[in-house]
Amino acid sequence: MPKTSSSLSRGSAPLWSAATRKALVALIALAPLLIFIGIFFLAPIGAVVIDSFRNNDGDFSLVNFSDIFKEPIRTAMVTSLSLASVSALTAAIPGGILAYLIESRGSQKLRRIVASISGVLANTGGVPLAFMFIAAMGAEGSATGLLKLAGIDIYGSGFSLYSFWGLVVVYSYFQIPMMVIVFSPAVHGLRREWAEAAMTLGASKRQFWTRVGFPLLFPSFLSATLLLFASAFSAYATARAMTNGTIPLVPTMIGNLLDGNVIFDEVNLAKALAVSMVVVTLVAMVPYLIIQRKSERWQK
Amino acid sequence: MAKVKFPRRSQLVLGLTLVVASTYVVLPLASATEFSLRQPAKKNYGLDNFSWFMGDPDFVKYLLISLGLAAYSALILLVVLVPTTVWLNLSGSRFRRMVEFLSLLPLVVPVVALAIGAQTSLPEFAQTDETVLAYMFAVLALPYAYRTLDTGLRSIPLGTLIEAARSLGAGWVRAILRAVIPAIRGTVLNALFMTLALSLGEFTLTSLLHWDTFTTWVTTMSQSNILGAIALSMFSLYAVFALLLAIGFAVRQPKFHENSEEE
Repeated sequence: MPKTSSSLSRGSAPLWSAATRKALVALIALAPLLIFIGIFFLAPIGAVVIDSFRNNDGDFSLVNFSDIFKEPIRTAMVTSLSLASVSALTAAIPGGILAYLIESRGSQKLRRIVASISGVLANTGGVPLAFMFIAAMGAEGSATGLLKLAGIDIYGSGFSLYSFWGLVVVYSYFQIPMMVIVFSPAVHGLRREWAEAAMTLGASKRQFWTRVGFPLLFPSFLSATLLLFASAFSAYATARAMTNGTIPLVPTMIGNLLDGNVIFDEVNLAKALAVSMVVVTLVAMVPYLIIQRKSERWQK
Repeated sequence: MAKVKFPRRSQLVLGLTLVVASTYVVLPLASATEFSLRQPAKKNYGLDNFSWFMGDPDFVKYLLISLGLAAYSALILLVVLVPTTVWLNLSGSRFRRMVEFLSLLPLVVPVVALAIGAQTSLPEFAQTDETVLAYMFAVLALPYAYRTLDTGLRSIPLGTLIEAARSLGAGWVRAILRAVIPAIRGTVLNALFMTLALSLGEFTLTSLLHWDTFTTWVTTMSQSNILGAIALSMFSLYAVFALLLAIGFAVRQPKFHENSEEE
């Protein structure tokens, strides 16, 4: 592609008017990316949206969406939403603290190492992650044993890895690193000069945090938490490996509908479920993207 | 004097936090690794569980499929993104906002939803060839890769570099390949790294579109031999870690890029 654009923009003979040439160059430069996004992203999503408004005879209908508010989908939706909220909050706080400590006190080397490791950990999931936690926190797990030695019997107090809270624990293994990745740039942008400037003007440490530090970091913290919410809400591989259908969740329910474990004519229902998932993630991600864009201004 | 000898309190807090965090990261890994080395029949530790899956002819087959798909998806992203982002940064085009918006969209859509859509909308020929997965993986990595490349390009004197290369007689392609890409080597590498990590571990799209890669093979195998399956899972984790760390260390970032990042 760039080959063509080069001959065009370099062309010495004014074959076309300047404006036409400019538009052509723009088209050629953008075409590969736009075609790529069109075929492999916009077309699939468009197809899902259109089909979700069709009943099993192919006519326009809202029946799929009204089914979402009926059991068993209703329970799955409520469970998925609460799991995503709890997982986002429980990961955002330790992740945020970790990001803050490492960015503000760590050496550059440490920050780079943490960034690489977080990048890898944020991508773990599915069966390998499930095995890791079964080995550590299952009934026979090493951490379970260690805690028992310390006098804490987690299984005695009703904990199970295959429960709602078990999933929260397992998800945190990729959620906390994700928080570190997303929140670190904000802490990094909080410049030391600002603290010094505030102190020179007579602010106490506490005043700096309540008037400058916290107001600057909070929007980024909130937006990162929203991203974690979306990530937990859409997690499929880990949910499938851990729950196997014991906890009703929207992503695994869609998976089951697609795998043909149910009656075939519910495919459009799966699409309506997918659309409702998109709506939920949109609600979380749009504020995330807006806040990110705004805070990038002072982070540079 | 005392200041030099004793770590400051803030460093102590950081140190303690790092110890807790590393325990949290390492404990599950170490526990699963311990399980993977168990040999219940012989009542000792060894590599039996590892030789169980390595002897399977499917092992190499699926490993190669996954590596190939990961490399292909990284290549697709670079080919599609580099010329466009360079042009956008040079021309200050009004399309910039639109491209940025489109590139971030895959973040908003759950992979499950994209999988159903791909099943419906992709043409027949694309559905009979597993390379379609590479394109889909590239879509998933697009938001991260776009952001990384764009940030990298903003941090270098792009116009000057290209002008210099072109006044020395290089064409556009050559200018991008020989002047721009080396200047943002670290960034390109970062984008590659994320795409590879994502592709190698991708499960949702692969399984919902009924393809088989290393990840789905691990899931299938996990139903037959529990210790062997743990060994296989550990192998897949460590192999990805090693690969990504090797790539991370292989190329050092050029100096002026590091500085501009540090500003």
